[in-house]
Amino acid sequence: MSAIEINNVSKKFGAKEVIRDINVSIDEGDFLVLLGPSGCGKSTLLRMLAGLESISSGEIVIGGKRVDQLPPGDRDIAFVFQSYALYPHLSVRRNMAFPLLMQEFRLWYHLPIIGAMAKRRIENSPRVVEKIAKMSKILGLTDMLDRFPRTLSGGQRQRVALGRAMVREPEVFLMDEPLSNLDAKLRTSMRSEISRLHKEIGGTFVYVTHDQVEAMTMGTKIALMRDGIIQQFGTARDIYTDPANTYVARFIGTPPMNLIMAKWDGARMMVGSLAIAANLSPTLAASDVLLGVRPNAITLATDLSNDSLNGEVVMVEHVGADSIIAVRLKDGRTAHNDDGDLDAVMVTVPGYCMLSMGQAVSITIDPHQMILFSAATGERIRRLT
Amino acid sequence: MRTSRQLEHMRVLAVLLMLGFAAFPIYWMFVTSMTPSSELFASSPRLLPAWSQLSIYAEIFNTIPVATWLKNSFLVAAGTTVLSILLAVFPAYALSRFRFAGLAVLGFALFATQMLPEAMLVVPLYSIFGDLNLLNTIPGLVLANTAFVVPVITWIIKGAIDSIPFEIEEAARVDGCSRLDIVLGIVIPLVAPTLAAAAVISFFHGWNEYVFAQTLVSSENLRTASVGLASFVGELSTPIHSVMAVGVIYTLPAIIFYLFAQRYVVAGMTAGSVKG
Repeated sequence: MSAIEINNVSKKFGAKEVIRDINVSIDEGDFLVLLGPSGCGKSTLLRMLAGLESISSGEIVIGGKRVDQLPPGDRDIAFVFQSYALYPHLSVRRNMAFPLLMQEFRLWYHLPIIGAMAKRRIENSPRVVEKIAKMSKILGLTDMLDRFPRTLSGGQRQRVALGRAMVREPEVFLMDEPLSNLDAKLRTSMRSEISRLHKEIGGTFVYVTHDQVEAMTMGTKIALMRDGIIQQFGTARDIYTDPANTYVARFIGTPPMNLIMAKWDGARMMVGSLAIAANLSPTLAASDVLLGVRPNAITLATDLSNDSLNGEVVMVEHVGADSIIAVRLKDGRTAHNDDGDLDAVMVTVPGYCMLSMGQAVSITIDPHQMILFSAATGERIRRLT
Repeated sequence: MRTSRQLEHMRVLAVLLMLGFAAFPIYWMFVTSMTPSSELFASSPRLLPAWSQLSIYAEIFNTIPVATWLKNSFLVAAGTTVLSILLAVFPAYALSRFRFAGLAVLGFALFATQMLPEAMLVVPLYSIFGDLNLLNTIPGLVLANTAFVVPVITWIIKGAIDSIPFEIEEAARVDGCSRLDIVLGIVIPLVAPTLAAAAVISFFHGWNEYVFAQTLVSSENLRTASVGLASFVGELSTPIHSVMAVGVIYTLPAIIFYLFAQRYVVAGMTAGSVKG
């Protein structure tokens, strides 16, 4: 059974449609990452799952129950916010106990004194105490249960927020960029911690981020979004090796996939005036195409010949284990210029590369690692071989 | 160049000077209440109280119903405080969080009530209160004062609620809170310092109020201290000792209430200045 089903869901803010007819089905135990740039609708989609935002049309089913008209508290979900959203006036212990308290809450608990006594009774009940002890042990919060959120560091606050979500043992965990307020080092350790929690306590996770590394490392499934539409839905591997369009191809991977302008004339793949090996079936109709090549699927050579793609080194970056070389082709153009107007092919070379700016080089593309996109639509052209 | 120490001294001096300006009338009231009659109009005024005159305080409690006046004032002030806060929290939340047609007009209308002087409203209020049998009652006075206080503290509380991040309320909704649970369980504790400031404003309004207390209540035993105090001023003579002594007693509970609420008020006035 799928844990979450999103069927034909749309969302309009006034005339602007921010989510367009989305259909996704997530299996129980999946870790779905909603990935995309700012304003692509990923947070809105998550908030619609939580019930913090209404839906304009369609339906949402969680755990076999249709929930799109239910208030957030009745959806059997927990939500972790980017800003943690802890209750500043409650201690860590009472922050974590809060969702459990609300499960048994009665209106008269708001009365002073007797209401407070009733709340204390629930908070001190064995069920609540045990759950908090268990979760605080998993999260390493045992020593700070009586402290207030303002006295905790960002990482500790985020762990409390996770603890508050986990004590409910919900069907689905929803997380809205929970790590983006943390510094880089802490982000890496919290990343693996969240993955560990997912394995340890189970449950279905939906996680929003704009960070492709988080998406690739944590997600069992990734939905890459743009302008309210899911561009591709699949595993991290699918999205990396088998992108559905040029947007997906360029979004994932650092440096991103090269898109080299080429022409398929029915028999040969022409880059500029040079025919290159393409390993293609001749049944493909002649058209303008974009050759998608990862920077690591290209080999560089300093000996030039007339049957190789020649060019000039325009940038060299050393990033530790690899070097990134930008090569401007003499006869051939790229279909991307978002790297500072550098009309160049990016190549990664292992180790410290001794090439220098202005040096003439030739590149060879591995035909088996070449992906074709339509130059007109940007959509993937499936190989027919 | 002045040293920082000199600057510090000057700062303290300036504060003391301002404090002197503020506190001197109260001190003068106290001194006058303890000045023998013969010296009241002396050309060189007394600067220290004559302690031999302390008995005036026992005397006024025996001769004038000061205790009743104070009790009435306290009932009016406390009633106004409780009722105003209860009535202001919910509209403040609505003004802060809900978007609806007429929001701006409603907000302005609340302010507009403050533009009308009490004296102008006394006549219509008198007639309405007469129909509702609220003349000559303490609850009537509480209601009239509350009507004036609620708009002011609604805006103050709204400001504090504005500073609570939306996410906290959203987290509460996910945790299963209704709107009412959020207001009572999350918002009120978070704006407590501002509520204390609002309580001080309401209490002092009720405690000091004169125009309504004078017109809407006529029976002797429902007089508040402000009206009682004014009743001393006679056509032929004014017992200055007694007026000043009652004045001192009238001031004390207000000061005590303020001291009690002070630490919350200070927190309330700086609320939102530091990220919590």
